[in-house]
Amino acid sequence: MNRRLDEYVEADVQRLLTEDVDLAEQGITVLRREQNLVLCGEVESQARRDEIERKVRAAFPDVAVLVDIGITRTQPPGEAEDLS
Amino acid sequence: MIRVAAVADVHMDSDVLGRYRPALEELPDKADVLLLGGDLTRHGSAAEAECVATEFRDLGVPVIAVLGNHDHHRDQVPEVVKTLEGGGIAVLEGEGTVIDTPGGRLGVAGAKGFGGGFAGRCASAFGEPEMKAFVQTTCDAADRLSEALRRLECDVLVALTHYAPVPDTLLGEPLEIYPFLGSYLLGQAIDSAPTALAVHGHAHMGSERGVTPGGVKVRNVAHPVIKQAYSVFHLHARARAAA
Ligand SMILES: [Fe+2]
Ligand SMILES: [Fe+2]
Repeated sequence: MNRRLDEYVEADVQRLLTEDVDLAEQGITVLRREQNLVLCGEVESQARRDEIERKVRAAFPDVAVLVDIGITRTQPPGEAEDLS
Repeated sequence: MIRVAAVADVHMDSDVLGRYRPALEELPDKADVLLLGGDLTRHGSAAEAECVATEFRDLGVPVIAVLGNHDHHRDQVPEVVKTLEGGGIAVLEGEGTVIDTPGGRLGVAGAKGFGGGFAGRCASAFGEPEMKAFVQTTCDAADRLSEALRRLECDVLVALTHYAPVPDTLLGEPLEIYPFLGSYLLGQAIDSAPTALAVHGHAHMGSERGVTPGGVKVRNVAHPVIKQAYSVFHLHARARAAA
């Protein structure tokens, strides 16, 4: 079934991101733009980003999906915060 | 001075193994303790907990954790806790612990917490049993946290939760989901004791800094918020007023 990019698609994508057993992401923002659906936020690995892209495209083949998800950096902190 | 390192929402699985290790090698030079603020795993499986135990093992400083909602997903909490403890991680739920550091005795009380929302915009224990159960879950968590905080004998007191105790650190999240991100009852629990710092996670799109109505500094250390392996806070023991 062709699915227009409407609010129900937005809701379904948001739930897929969390409830799909291979995704389990609650920290992704789904933005419904004029032409496409933008996914943004950060995940812990490139594999997770790729899996999100694959699953969402497979579930919504007629929706133009733009994935702008970063991998959270894990460098040591440059400085401490003094809380006196 | 007591140096507290903290991170939350590391959501470990085998694909993340080793990512934190280079930064963790530097931990003993930077901090006296590491706090993990929940969502340690993706789904709360024992296998994922084993990844957490492996990643945060033998760091040279004590590691103290609370669980998050993701760690409850598979309904295997006892196995998850046992696995984490096997890696030397202390898991707190309505309990506290005191560790001796060169800067004094650090007390940490922890509880996962729950949602419910914030003053004037919160859920009430009224109506359907499901609604009462939701609110009661938060009340119980807040009561346990308050008791744990008030019981601890230490020089510096820190509260560790997964859910947020104030709305300040949710800035960046959609307002509509605030009631699923935290509860003012946790803030009230934190204010019921001489808490020096409250650390939480869960709000991946929130912001770093906030303060409770009672003036306790709150820090959201969710990994995507701090954008580094962990944050470090320097705390100072305060002379207690004579009783
Ligand atoms: Fe999380
Ligand atoms: Fe969470």
